[in-house]
Amino acid sequence: MAEINWPWQYNFPPFFTIQPNKETQKLQLDAWKSLVLDYCRSTKQCVIDVREANNSPVFHNAAISRKLPPEGILLVLEELAASGNAEPLDKTKTRWFIFWRTLQELASIIHTWAKDNGFTNTVCTFYELTNTPDQEFSGIDEDVLQKALKELEKQGKAEVILSPEINGVKFF
Amino acid sequence: MGGLFSKSKKVSRVTEQDRAVLQMKSQRDKVKQYQKQIARKLETERRIAKELVAAGKKDRALLILRKKRLAEQLLSKTDGQLETIETLIQDVEFAQVEAKVFDVLKEGNEALKKVNDSMNIDEIEKIMDETKEAAEKQEEIQRLISGESFSDTDMEAIEKEFNDLVGERDGEQNRETEIPQNIKEDEPAPELPEVPTDEPVQKDVAVKENKKQKIAIEAS
Repeated sequence: MAEINWPWQYNFPPFFTIQPNKETQKLQLDAWKSLVLDYCRSTKQCVIDVREANNSPVFHNAAISRKLPPEGILLVLEELAASGNAEPLDKTKTRWFIFWRTLQELASIIHTWAKDNGFTNTVCTFYELTNTPDQEFSGIDEDVLQKALKELEKQGKAEVILSPEINGVKFF
Repeated sequence: MGGLFSKSKKVSRVTEQDRAVLQMKSQRDKVKQYQKQIARKLETERRIAKELVAAGKKDRALLILRKKRLAEQLLSKTDGQLETIETLIQDVEFAQVEAKVFDVLKEGNEALKKVNDSMNIDEIEKIMDETKEAAEKQEEIQRLISGESFSDTDMEAIEKEFNDLVGERDGEQNRETEIPQNIKEDEPAPELPEVPTDEPVQKDVAVKENKKQKIAIEAS
């Protein structure tokens, strides 16, 4: 696990209480957003469960014994969703996908990689992609990968092949 | 309509071979995962054996080591499988490339044939003849419009003047290269040693230049 650069706010107790002042709250949420994205990027975490979120150090600073309440977490996640960096798994909004790269960004990163490595016009398995070392998309959740590839499919740059046993993609 | 078209096109983009390759690749992934699993098992077994040896339980340690050996053999077997699969994947992919090259060659050949068919030899001859005629006509018109044209004698005069100019230029060039030889002939070698030691260079150059001029006049 990579070392996380905690922002100064992380050790600032009021950071863990959603601020009533609208302007302050906006700044606070922006800080939370980048903190969550940084954290998820370095831990390669793709899914956040609101109910378990307080077990994760990102929403719980044990050193100053402060936790972000579930309402706050939900607010941060909604903010992330607004910028395309998160998406609820279902309507209950308890589990969320986190995209530290938006799906569009991820899609173009993958396609550039495929082009650079001569994978156009060939098929790749999802496992092959997520196990490519030292790439932005190595180790990501296969569901997130699939969503990104669907984006590419919309642009006509790939075609996702889904079957019960094998998930793959053909790049163009 | 567009949607329908793109949909039917999409379906055709993944070929049967693609599916076959994907299946093989997925199998390869599974073998790789299996290898990971075995490798992890080996790791634990090595650790356990070490602990058993440390605890003095020789029989159990040997048993674990036998199991470990078995797993190692399995690992090398899967390596062989992996190689076979990967070779096959490469072969299929290469065959796909070959098929594409073949298609392109066929298309190119067809196009070449079509273009060639559209050109009739007789027609080409006719066109070439017509072009020649037109060019001749153009020449005649040119001659008539400009009123006078150079006669053969005129051309000879022009040629001569040009040759003279060329000769002049060559003469100038030759002069410079020939001079040293002429000097040697005029002043035989035995005379050379009497060149004085103090400041002789300036004089000699002057003499040489004199000679140059003389010869230049003779040549022209």
